[in-house]
Amino acid sequence: MSSAGTQLATQSSTEARAKLRVLLIEDSRADAELVLRGLRDGGFDVSVDLAQTPEEFRARVKETVPDIVLADYNLGQWRGMEALKILREEGRDVPLILVSGALGDITAVECIKRGATDYVLKDSLTRLPESVRRALREKKLREESRKAEANLAAKAAELARSNAELEQFAYVASHDLQEPLRMVAAYTQLLSERYRGKLDDNADKFLGYASEGAQRMQVLIQDLLAFSRVGRREAPSEKVDCNAVMKEVLQALGAAIQESGAVVTYGSLPAVWADRTQVAQVFQNLIGNALKFRGPEPPRVVVQAERAGQQWLFAVSDSGIGIAPEHRENIFVVFQRLHARTEYPGNGIGLAICKKIIERYGGRIWVESQPGAGSTFRFTMPGEASDPKEEGRK
Amino acid sequence: MKSAPQLLIVDDNAADVSLTREALTATAYGGQISSVADGMEALAFLTRRGNYANASKPDLVILDLNLPKRDGLAVLAAMKAAPELRRIPVVVFSTSQLSQDIGRSYELGANCYVSKPGNLTEFFSAMRAIKQFWFGAASLPPQGE
Repeated sequence: MSSAGTQLATQSSTEARAKLRVLLIEDSRADAELVLRGLRDGGFDVSVDLAQTPEEFRARVKETVPDIVLADYNLGQWRGMEALKILREEGRDVPLILVSGALGDITAVECIKRGATDYVLKDSLTRLPESVRRALREKKLREESRKAEANLAAKAAELARSNAELEQFAYVASHDLQEPLRMVAAYTQLLSERYRGKLDDNADKFLGYASEGAQRMQVLIQDLLAFSRVGRREAPSEKVDCNAVMKEVLQALGAAIQESGAVVTYGSLPAVWADRTQVAQVFQNLIGNALKFRGPEPPRVVVQAERAGQQWLFAVSDSGIGIAPEHRENIFVVFQRLHARTEYPGNGIGLAICKKIIERYGGRIWVESQPGAGSTFRFTMPGEASDPKEEGRK
Repeated sequence: MKSAPQLLIVDDNAADVSLTREALTATAYGGQISSVADGMEALAFLTRRGNYANASKPDLVILDLNLPKRDGLAVLAAMKAAPELRRIPVVVFSTSQLSQDIGRSYELGANCYVSKPGNLTEFFSAMRAIKQFWFGAASLPPQGE
């Protein structure tokens, strides 16, 4: 196993004893025997290699990996601490315990700081076995957490890859579906317009259904494309004044506001760091919903914001029909609708887009609501440019 | 009285060509409509080469972008680089709404860019607008060099 002369002793194993391969740096044979006895008395089945010079130590470490290195502090030509450097250079994660004569407190602390696991004085070797056990435990924990970390990183990378793939698929599929569907929609519409009343009543009805179906599917595909574009947009984050955005959004929703007799109010809103178009989309979708899902009274909508650390916490409150508790999560899922199309039109894409945008900036969106008592949608947006995700992307 | 207008549709999708013809007929467009299905043919038609030796020079080209052999942008670039074709107005008529495609088309000298609507009513009204503008409001370049 190792070169002759450095092999000191190998005790035949006793069942209960833990095997321990020690690499010992020690220039006194008597001290070496003492250290070994200390370990055996402490319950270890010890096998030992001895190294006396840095060159010897490096050669040992290269050929075999010990469980632990025990090093005297003061050796003739070198110091035990240099062994740490060699271990590092050779890429060996092996704990090193200094076993030494009187060692000043300051030096001891310095050694631990530089990477020694522990130090044990030669006149209290009874402490050595426990110190070794602790070093081994710590190493095992270190290895386990390293493994877990690597595992997690691999899983995260895999997830990111499959997400990107899925997104790409959704985009390509919906994009390529549009062309043939456009033909179906146009020609069924042309047929139903041109031949209305010229065939029988059933034919008119059938053509109407086919044409409606094709047109509905067109809208669905466009929504799906809009949803998948949220993640594809590569516009950099900029400082976005939400007051200006609100003005534009209210203008865009002008017809719906007028038609419903709604009153939309907002206080002084902050600036957020995001993509301007997407911020506007979040406000427009939320306010649009507040106007759509209204009760008999003209809707009242209030938009507010408050500081929440680095983030801004926004609230869009309405006086509408509200949402039952069991639906508070799934309203954010793509194509989830709670009402018949005849009651409230739409495809169930608006909130899914809001959620995707907000999560893109590390934020969160949720709803607080009671049926019949209005809803408050709350979401967070970064208030500073220091979004780590954004910086990582650059 | 002016001679009947000549229109060239460059589109590989027969259904779209047919729909464009339908839409133009609905606007009482009384001119000629020719169509070719790829970029090479379009350039042959415009320069009266091969099968198109007797083709008449169009007053307006309606050009799709996604074409086999040479795509619409290449046809557009070739037209605008050729002194004898440069003045023919080109309406790019494509499903693409990508800002790159729109910007690139204008850069290459497109006279206007119209997105192909997915819905019949909008398709018809887009064609009506094109017809009314180019064969109504606008003065076309004089024929004969």
